[in-house]
Amino acid sequence: MTFRTVLTTCSALAVLGISAGFIRAQNYEAAPGIPAMEQRLQDDVLRFNATVNTEVDDDVLELGRLVAMGGSEAGDSGMACITCHGGDGTGDGSGAFPRLAGQAGWYTYKQLKDYASGDRQNRVMSGIAKKLTEEEMEAVAAYYATISAPYTPPLGDVDGMTLQWGGQLGAVGSAERGVPACVNCHGPSGLGNPPSVPYLAGQYASYMEHQLQMWKEGKRDNDVDNVMSAIAKKMTQHDIEAVSAYYNRVRPTQPLPPETSPLLEPSTAPTQ
Amino acid sequence: MAKLYSRRAILAQIALGAGVAGAGLPVSHAFAAQDDRPWSFFTDAEAQWIAAVADVFIPQDDFPSASQAGVVDFIDFQMATAYGAGEGLYLDPPFPSGAVPEQGYQLKFTPAQLLRQGIEQAGQLGDIATMDATARADHVEQMSERDDIVGTLIAELWKLTKQGYFADPIYLGNHDYAGWRMVGFPGAHAYYTERVDADKRSVTPPPRGIAHDRGGTPYPPRAIGGGSD
Amino acid sequence: MAPRKLPKTDVLIIGGGWTGLTAAYELTHAGQRCVVLERGKKRHTATSFGAPEEHDELKYAHRYSHMMDVKKETLTIRNNRDQQALPMRRLGSFLPGSGLGGAGIHWNGQIWRPLPSDLQMRSHYEDRYGKDFIGPELSVQDWGVTYEELEPHLDFFERICGAAGFAGNLGGEARAGGNVFEGPRSADYPNPPMRQPISNTLFGEAAARMGLNPFPMPSANVTKAYENPYGAQLHPCTYCGFCERFGCGYYAKADPIICVYDQIKDHENFEIRFDAQVLRIEKSEDGKTATGAIYLDANGEEVFQPADTICMNAYALWNVHLMLVSGLGKPYDPETRTGVVGRNYSYQTVAGVDAFFDKSVETDPYMGAGALGVVIDDYNGDNFDHSDLGFVGGGYIACKQYHGRPIGYQPVPEGTPKWGAEWKQAVRENYNHHADLVVHGSSVSTPENYLDLDPTWTDSFGRPLLRMTFDFPENDRKMSDYVMQRAMDVAREMDNVTSVSGTNNAAVDKHYDIVPYQTTHNVGGAVIGTDPETSVVNRYGQMWDHHNVFVFGACLFPQNLGYNPTGPLMGLAYWTLEHMKRDYLPNPAPLMDA
Repeated sequence: MTFRTVLTTCSALAVLGISAGFIRAQNYEAAPGIPAMEQRLQDDVLRFNATVNTEVDDDVLELGRLVAMGGSEAGDSGMACITCHGGDGTGDGSGAFPRLAGQAGWYTYKQLKDYASGDRQNRVMSGIAKKLTEEEMEAVAAYYATISAPYTPPLGDVDGMTLQWGGQLGAVGSAERGVPACVNCHGPSGLGNPPSVPYLAGQYASYMEHQLQMWKEGKRDNDVDNVMSAIAKKMTQHDIEAVSAYYNRVRPTQPLPPETSPLLEPSTAPTQ
Repeated sequence: MAKLYSRRAILAQIALGAGVAGAGLPVSHAFAAQDDRPWSFFTDAEAQWIAAVADVFIPQDDFPSASQAGVVDFIDFQMATAYGAGEGLYLDPPFPSGAVPEQGYQLKFTPAQLLRQGIEQAGQLGDIATMDATARADHVEQMSERDDIVGTLIAELWKLTKQGYFADPIYLGNHDYAGWRMVGFPGAHAYYTERVDADKRSVTPPPRGIAHDRGGTPYPPRAIGGGSD
Repeated sequence: MAPRKLPKTDVLIIGGGWTGLTAAYELTHAGQRCVVLERGKKRHTATSFGAPEEHDELKYAHRYSHMMDVKKETLTIRNNRDQQALPMRRLGSFLPGSGLGGAGIHWNGQIWRPLPSDLQMRSHYEDRYGKDFIGPELSVQDWGVTYEELEPHLDFFERICGAAGFAGNLGGEARAGGNVFEGPRSADYPNPPMRQPISNTLFGEAAARMGLNPFPMPSANVTKAYENPYGAQLHPCTYCGFCERFGCGYYAKADPIICVYDQIKDHENFEIRFDAQVLRIEKSEDGKTATGAIYLDANGEEVFQPADTICMNAYALWNVHLMLVSGLGKPYDPETRTGVVGRNYSYQTVAGVDAFFDKSVETDPYMGAGALGVVIDDYNGDNFDHSDLGFVGGGYIACKQYHGRPIGYQPVPEGTPKWGAEWKQAVRENYNHHADLVVHGSSVSTPENYLDLDPTWTDSFGRPLLRMTFDFPENDRKMSDYVMQRAMDVAREMDNVTSVSGTNNAAVDKHYDIVPYQTTHNVGGAVIGTDPETSVVNRYGQMWDHHNVFVFGACLFPQNLGYNPTGPLMGLAYWTLEHMKRDYLPNPAPLMDA
């Protein structure tokens, strides 16, 4: 079966799934339009972020959107992505479910594969992932990767010292604990290192804390060579809270075009 | 768009090309040949001379020339800072004659002194500003073969030009990741565990420098008459 | 003014790199109070070497920010005694480190063992090829210590580093896929080999087709989360391509700070002083022992630190320099060929082969690691018949993908102009389609290659500079050319290769050149052995002339083998420390009769 046939078949099924009257937690009309996402794909950064094994085009994005809405070739999975992760990938506001918007496509795809195979343990996600075909996993991962969505305000308060410590761990790590800085792998301002390293900036603190706990306890080990466990084991509970609270509050700044940079004042240029 | 800095002509400069398509053909510059931001070390004339030589080394094609990518800004900043002042260079006398090339650099000058005095002496060998691209290339070739301060200068400039074209943009060269985009180098943020043994890459990661979240460098290269503009 | 005198310590350790910190760890745990003097700054792997700041090619690979400062200390260089040696005014050919961890911070992490025959180079060749096979122009000699004796120590250091590899000789049994030429191992590597990129894989396939024996390069770039015997935690390599000349903030390249220093720094018997530049070692009145060292502290004040035992753990060249300026041992005189300090300085014979692929092979050279390679050892040491070749020694051939940093990585095919439009086009077209083969060869010692003190120039502390007299011996030029030709044969056999070219630092028409980087493997000058006429230290690393001075590092090598030196020199370090703890400290006296 060619990729295009698969696409047509599952699109049809997906449409059927939706028309069967599944109750949506969110209005999928809020989801971004495919043309807007296709436009964004012209950007090299996003193309790289979104690329899984298939070149992303609007057919893939359309399939991805349908999967997100709850459709799959295997039939309605019982729960759509948008129920917990939102149509725009910003979650349901509870902080329990991760933000997916703009997450590296290959990373999301790999998580779905691991949920399906049991390499990453989560009863709900495993049930959903097992019903997705290879193409559907790729498509829905690419779909969320191409979404640009606003950040939700952080939940709860954190004291300044904790936040500062979180920032320090993120930026320079700790020689005392033997914890390398998050920025080593997770990119500038926690933007991620696509395709395989997820962003942290703007991610929900409670989700991140929970994941770090699982790494620490060895309950999650689906990264390559188990490096996150090795790191999380050296972190204290306070370290975990601090770094999660910190990254929850980081807002990635996109590079400014040089001509509009506020730094560009003649008076700040070095003089002879 | 409102200009954040004003520009004026440094020098009326005849557009002399050094394009790939044909030596001597004018090549349009990526930006205006006017700029009044001061240099940190160079005089305008020195900057123009450096731009001319650097653009012989790396002329414009689908990717910017050396000067268009900020190489002159890079060298200027290097000369004004520790490297130019002789960091990492042992300059204790004496400086006897008779050194063989295998013994390395044996002049008494810091890089900044070498550039200033070298350019002055090179000026006596011809006026590069008035040469067309072919003549410039020949002139640089001839200067590089000299067994004196001018020869050493050209070797130093070639080294600095490559550094400026390919170093992280925080040093003011490699503007807009010109050098990195040219070869496909993704930059300072590097994590390849999952991909190193895959024999086909899907898409090249776009470059990200050390200060990527601040746009690499906010300084566009100064516009210089004298390069391949 | 007389130097301020401090209270005496048990052991004074000069240098805070791999050997110095290891000596401190082992001796501290043997109940000795150890003071380490480090000429450079304090720094730490987590906080000083993190990405992205560490991934600054200009600052670290070209401005040498982790390296020693030649403004403070350098050497003079000449190819032969007829020339005037001139100062090495800028770093180039080799890059010694400075600061906590020393050069162990910026190494590539290639962790080798010597071949058994490497350690008995003279007797091995004489046994196999006859008494006259090694000509009189070479001063090749045995190490005085055997592979069997070093094996447990080589093994232990591999465990300290979490070395990644595949044993080719496990307890005497050859295993395909590993280095079938290596000496017997008591255990396999603690971690599995690295993942190999396409370029290295194609090299390995070609070598195998030719009947050669490719294997993954042994690596201290760790492949799994790992805890070493001292309790240090290492993390898996990210293949970031910033290894040699950089520190590793990922905790993925074994370095002396995370592997050793962190595990000893809080011990009550341990003290380290930074910015402590040792000026000279003082001797007792009878000259038979050393009494301590005078150093400049961080405030520039001269301090005398007395000690019962002194460990010399500086970089190879600076150990020799310190002996010469302190009057330890008898300096070598090339006229009379007597004396030992400075004798048998040797280097490494490095050639390279560039193989260019057609466009179908995309190498992504920026995905790399210091010890990411596939190697053949078929032309190393005496693994091949030397009968009709007219030289001794050999080298390994490796296809390596260790970085694609674009200032330094600009491979272009032979015949490309040195700059200009065609050069630019060639760089662009070949960056992603190139394999980097290295021929890493041995370097024999000769009576004419040596180290002494320069009569003219001084360092910033007023001491005469070290003077290096070195050129590649004829033997090594022949060897290097022969092995490079073999490397080119393999390169031509590789799939999708369109052109092959070679460059040899030791080519017949070239002299040793201090300018282009070759390798930081300066060895010899204070060599180990069993005869005080031809060695500075006995086979336990103890100075013949001053029994309370122990010497560590590559300065001990009587000639250089075809491998990178860190593995062998750390094997020697643990060997020396074992004998210090077991035999010397309970009864401080010469461990061998002169």
